[in-house]
Amino acid sequence: MDANQQIVLDNLSVRYRGEDEEALKGISLTAKTGQIIGIIGNSRSGKTTLCDVLSGIIPNIVSSHVSGTVRLGEFSPFEAFDEYNFHTGVVLQNTAGQLSGLSDTVFDEIAFGLINQGMSEEEASKSVVRAACQMGLEDLLEQAPDTLSGGQTQRLAIASEIAFDPEFLIMDDPTSQMDPVGRKEFFEWLAGCSEKTIFIVSNEVDDLCEIADQLWVLEKGELIASGKPLDVINQVAEGHDLYLPVVYRMAKELGKKLPSGLFPVKLSELKGCFDDQN
Amino acid sequence: MTKIEINDLKFTYPGDNFGLKIKHLTFSEGMIAIIGQNGAGKSTLLRLLSGLNQPDSGEITVEGQNLNDYIGDKRLERIGLTFQDPNDQIFNATVKKEVEWGLRQMDKSETEVERITEEVLQEVGLADKMDENPYDLSLSERKLLSIATVVAVRPKILLFDEPMMSLDWPSRKKITAIFRYLADRGHVVITITHDMDWVLEEYEDVYAMAHGELVYSGKTSEFFESPSLVEEVGVLLPKATEVKRELDRYLKEK
Repeated sequence: MDANQQIVLDNLSVRYRGEDEEALKGISLTAKTGQIIGIIGNSRSGKTTLCDVLSGIIPNIVSSHVSGTVRLGEFSPFEAFDEYNFHTGVVLQNTAGQLSGLSDTVFDEIAFGLINQGMSEEEASKSVVRAACQMGLEDLLEQAPDTLSGGQTQRLAIASEIAFDPEFLIMDDPTSQMDPVGRKEFFEWLAGCSEKTIFIVSNEVDDLCEIADQLWVLEKGELIASGKPLDVINQVAEGHDLYLPVVYRMAKELGKKLPSGLFPVKLSELKGCFDDQN
Repeated sequence: MTKIEINDLKFTYPGDNFGLKIKHLTFSEGMIAIIGQNGAGKSTLLRLLSGLNQPDSGEITVEGQNLNDYIGDKRLERIGLTFQDPNDQIFNATVKKEVEWGLRQMDKSETEVERITEEVLQEVGLADKMDENPYDLSLSERKLLSIATVVAVRPKILLFDEPMMSLDWPSRKKITAIFRYLADRGHVVITITHDMDWVLEEYEDVYAMAHGELVYSGKTSEFFESPSLVEEVGVLLPKATEVKRELDRYLKEK
């Protein structure tokens, strides 16, 4: 595989200053770029820490004891951070905290970073409208950012990042405050993001199983499974107290397995189980 | 025994077209779910029930007395509210102090305050974070803390706005168990939620709101079996219901 199309995490460990225990313990993984990677796990499993490393916040902004390698294509957050930063978009868990706070309108907020990068106003304006439409904010462009609901603020933070058209997008629980319709629209949008590499931390395991190419499962700082959702969910279903997707639970109840002996995790796979019987 | 009764309730926010209108509604002990789209009036109803907002007209009574007759610790013993955004209500320097604060308003002994605080933080899974600053916690941990502060006081009526938001699976099970425990012991546990799978699994009855009015109250299963009701209220079907339907449709077509 071309090294420039590879994601490599090698023996990555993180320990916060003043803490005895490591927040991430020797994570090693490789994956292809251009995929949607869902990161799941319970509270305190290290999901946010991993996001903070992938976004370069650790150790460039929050200093911690970090060892190991992180490489997204040709970029590494531990080497040339400015360049890395330029190619990555980041949506933090606390979205309100990442907005500039300087913009009077949603339009200006999305344009803020673009103008700062030296983009012409005309070009920036096009990018703003494109990003706003993708996040369903087109009717809110003239509204003040601080009047938005939690879910709208999350969509604004995402729009501000995708306006740059970054190659890598890292999102930490970006739908936590969206209503169900907003969440559904977001995952439909995400499913259509074919060229970007996307890392998304989420508790929405049903949605992730439908659209993610890979799932990474963390538990107490360790990687306990990684790979296709089908394999991963079947692997962690017992003994880990994790949420299991509706399709998986239903298939198990009905006793429907795939030819591989695994229980399906997405709707199309479940339907397929019924084909095989005919 | 009926705990809360609403009659001819009307409320509008100043300078806003939105209005809440409820002719008659009663809540008794148990777990109660309120569903509806954003802007349907769910949070406004919770604010009125907690006394944070006053109705333009009509009356809310609790155990036969007007809500406004309860003041000070009498009010705290009756009603507790958690906001959707935990940051709207957390203000103490440590997790422990945050939980103790409500208890201290209620004339409890210092040993009582300590015992209850430890117990509740144990229940929600925050015992080891007792001395941390709430703002060093993750969003889901702050959410758990805001729930703990209200549960600690054990009011007769507990009001929760999206308690499950951003919680992981073990925490969701813990919170459901706490709600069930309180409901079984005579508390009225009223919850606004967007989580339809949780509603279908845990709530026998559901209250649905749309455009500031109550449009359905009754069996949860009947609600989700009525396409016209689900459409009027504007919620999504529970995932379990949706997968079942998709599968049935697929098998019929074959």
